[in-house]
Amino acid sequence: MTPVADTSELPSRTSMLRRLAEERAGGVLERSTGLLYLVDGRVVHAESEAATALGQLVVGSGRLAKADWDEALERCGGDSRRAADHLVKDGQLADGALELCRLTALFDAAYFALAPGGGAARFRHGVTSEGGLGLSVPADRVLAEVSRRRALLHSLWPGPSMDHHPVVRGRPRPDRPPSVRLRELLDLADGERTPADLARALGRPAFHVLLEVRRLAVAGLVEPPRPPARRPTAPTRTGRSPAARSRAPDGFAAPDIALLQRVRDGLEACL
Amino acid sequence: MPGIDMTLLEAISVPGARGATIVDWTCGFALDSAGEAWPAGIDATAGDTAELARIVRESAVFGAGHDGGDAPQVEDVIVTTGSAYHLIRFVADALEGGLFVHLWLDREAGNLALARRRLQALAEELAQPYTATEAP
Repeated sequence: MTPVADTSELPSRTSMLRRLAEERAGGVLERSTGLLYLVDGRVVHAESEAATALGQLVVGSGRLAKADWDEALERCGGDSRRAADHLVKDGQLADGALELCRLTALFDAAYFALAPGGGAARFRHGVTSEGGLGLSVPADRVLAEVSRRRALLHSLWPGPSMDHHPVVRGRPRPDRPPSVRLRELLDLADGERTPADLARALGRPAFHVLLEVRRLAVAGLVEPPRPPARRPTAPTRTGRSPAARSRAPDGFAAPDIALLQRVRDGLEACL
Repeated sequence: MPGIDMTLLEAISVPGARGATIVDWTCGFALDSAGEAWPAGIDATAGDTAELARIVRESAVFGAGHDGGDAPQVEDVIVTTGSAYHLIRFVADALEGGLFVHLWLDREAGNLALARRRLQALAEELAQPYTATEAP
């Protein structure tokens, strides 16, 4: 499977970040979707409200109680980097596990910070992050990974229709029991939580939840988003077409409905 | 208490090891790597090993206990080809077991049993807190 990236929307902020990297600039790249901090043209920190924060990832990883994290955070005046270092020194958190969480958090936030639709980017020279993730990643690597992730999402279910809506469970499929990890996600999908809410609740990277939700929709375990209300172009013939069946009162949802809706979203994404 | 770099360096110092990568199997992201990249390239290799790991890890078949007891986690996956072993060892204690270390081992020069034991220890030490690894 070679996913095709819809890179057409990337250029302006991509070229801006690339230019800043070449100039070895230091400062912060600001967009409405998030922030990227640079030092010597390398990405040292990323922030986005849509992404899962470091503390949530550390707690979600499973080895540390939320109360311990909150206590450490309080002791360090809300600085999550210092709180994490503290926990490492205390022997409550492994250095390696923290490093893995920091890298995961950086790429998670960078994905949303560089997302399409975040408006214009502006760069403020000389601004440094407080706390931050304490990493140093080449800007090219961040850009390549962000576009790889976009292509991966697109290959599963084209279009962003599922990313911002509440996640609604589909009918259980006894023939395809979900893994524990996916069941945890499905159990929290109450029809009100969006993928970002689920990610925060589970302490998982927000991008991962976007991906899992699309995979679950393909498997028919999550309801695909309803198409925006529009007048039907042809009279509905009850009981004939699969599209009509999907709206039948008995809620019958065959996997081909998910396929049809993927095709629809795919076609819309091409427009 | 080794970090990512040290873990990868130790992984490629295993006899017969050619390259090692830490991969996130939900999205196929290569977090870091050391040694040689498998000829397909780091991203393509991470993508395919992640896909394989995800199928095994999320499988109701492999995730079930044979005696109806507590379901054990899958610990590793081994792929053998004519020229290589690919060891995929899950890191149990970080990010809900969402990562693994992929070790490319030369089939001729490598010792699978030894490499498997070393990789198990490395994956455990990477994510266990200091006090836990110091315990006798």
